[in-house]
Amino acid sequence: MLLVEADGKALLRQYGITVPAGEVVRDAAWAAPAAPRVVKAQVTVGGRGKAGGVALCRDADETEAALKRILGSSIKGHAVHACLVEAPATGRECYLSILLDAGAGALRVTFIAEGGVEVESHALTPALTRLCAPDEASINAALAALTDDPAVRDVGGKLAALFLREELMLAEINPLFVGPAGAVAGDAKLVLDGNALHRQPGQEALLRANATLYPDALRKLDEGFDYVELDPKGRIGLITTGAGLSMMLVDELTARGAHPINFLDIRTGQLRGSPARLIRVLEWLSEHHSLRVLFVNIFAGITDQREFAQLLAAALQAQPCGNVPVVARLVGNGSEEARRWLAEARPDIAIFEDLEPSIAKVAEFAA
Amino acid sequence: MKALAEFAARTPVLVQGASGRMGRRHTQLMRDYGTHIAAGTSLREAGGNIDGIPLFADCHAATRETGATASICMVPPLETRAAVEEAVAAGITLIVTIAEGVPVHDALHLRRLTQAAGVTWIGASTPGIALPGQAKLGFLPNVALRPGPVALITKSGTLSYEVGYRLVQLGLGQSSWIGVGGDAVKGTRFAELLPYLAQHGATEAVVLVGEVGGTEEEEFAAALAAKPIGKPVLCLLAGREAKEGVAMGHAGALTYGGAGTLESKTTALQAAGAEVFATTAALVARCAALFGRQA
Repeated sequence: MLLVEADGKALLRQYGITVPAGEVVRDAAWAAPAAPRVVKAQVTVGGRGKAGGVALCRDADETEAALKRILGSSIKGHAVHACLVEAPATGRECYLSILLDAGAGALRVTFIAEGGVEVESHALTPALTRLCAPDEASINAALAALTDDPAVRDVGGKLAALFLREELMLAEINPLFVGPAGAVAGDAKLVLDGNALHRQPGQEALLRANATLYPDALRKLDEGFDYVELDPKGRIGLITTGAGLSMMLVDELTARGAHPINFLDIRTGQLRGSPARLIRVLEWLSEHHSLRVLFVNIFAGITDQREFAQLLAAALQAQPCGNVPVVARLVGNGSEEARRWLAEARPDIAIFEDLEPSIAKVAEFAA
Repeated sequence: MKALAEFAARTPVLVQGASGRMGRRHTQLMRDYGTHIAAGTSLREAGGNIDGIPLFADCHAATRETGATASICMVPPLETRAAVEEAVAAGITLIVTIAEGVPVHDALHLRRLTQAAGVTWIGASTPGIALPGQAKLGFLPNVALRPGPVALITKSGTLSYEVGYRLVQLGLGQSSWIGVGGDAVKGTRFAELLPYLAQHGATEAVVLVGEVGGTEEEEFAAALAAKPIGKPVLCLLAGREAKEGVAMGHAGALTYGGAGTLESKTTALQAAGAEVFATTAALVARCAALFGRQA
């Protein structure tokens, strides 16, 4: 997952990379200093500058105006709760990154002497980018082939150590300001591996310190399954398992103008005879007053649908979502008996074996 | 890919982590399906057996005693790296790892290791592979399996179950089913399956079930355009509404900026002569038409 810039810079600093002096500001009434400042929205999404999330301010008035404008606004659907306010760095703007290149099965080290927001326009020739093995010596050798600037090589060496020890997927500094006094990281785009969090306690602490910025990642860490909020004003609550099938359902419903609140991969194999996980999800969904229908879609290869049906009935019995209508599509192991049992236990539920009619029914409730 | 092409019901298979909750259950289910389960590994129960299948302390002992050449690895995600290293060192040539949540740096290490050793690694984060009607490695549900003309290659487990199940409902089935898995770095990528699919006699058409994130579909398209396989390729892509920067259940289903979007994948696949569908129903209807069935 992408860290916000301020957290990314905290990691850079930890590995000895210089970053500008700055402060995280959450209140627009903050007393800005008279000197020039850069104000940057702290959101977990790229392309902030082009979306109006970055302001270069000449004095306190401009800084305060920028904070007023950006704090509380929304950048690409992400609410801005905090801004990083920094002294502007100076020097030549360069681009430096280490990427885990999944297609190549290697790391990719890239250095471009002219960085900045238009960096994507550069064709990535071998003079600018190199593939290498995932170890420090190989990264340093790759970087040495791309630049002979000692300040850049120094930052690159530190970034290599960070990338490997923190098990990152991407570490990008753009711009990297290079001047006579050395190199300063003007920005930080660090992407963590959510699957490595269990053995990276420092990262977990970093996420928890800013919990409002990383709700989906922390939820997965704490609950052991994926729940992603898609549309807080959506009308459909999804009780689904499997990432691909759940994504496809979200696509197909949205294409019909029916908007799911959430994506869910509940992993039925991990319920272990308790409705607790289902009740948790129902509680989260119940917080959305727009909820009109619950759509249960479980394709069980292994999980016994008879057991799942009972857990579902028990969870619904707890009534976290009141009397909102339920559409359930159950198929797979033991599903015929499960559907029959559920129909008797909960005659109010619309039960289906096939997906298409169940989607149509849900769209009807959500209309 | 040689080990994949040679996989058959007679291939002696080793189950790594056979005595765990998952391992024990699926060892029996795979054998019931027809897979030749020759051995299992278990630290706790080495020397014992599961329904007559001998359990060994490590892969070396298991391969030496039983001649197993393929492995289905059912250990937890953080133990997958060590398990695959052990299997490769013991001479296993086809390894399927099912764990979801293998750290990406571990996967990168394993990809480089298996490639250097000439070992075919499928996974991680996959329900496995199957030759329907013959054998399976993993836990693909029997209700969705049936011998037929369509090779199913997929990132997602559940979405492929849905597709497989609906093919079965049509009276169609699969020639081969390979779950490459939902992780970003994996053992075998879509494009690397093309030579296998081209030469696979039972395969008359290919259904690719892909999703948002990464560049695997684009790589597949480029390889297909460079060397067409002479069989129809139909694709279903999920994740049009995925949230940028958030992994939608699969570690690989992650988009940043314009990379890995469904638009980029659709354009590339169509340019390579593949057909791309936005809904399962449309894909299944096309399969039906292709083989003269009533959708």
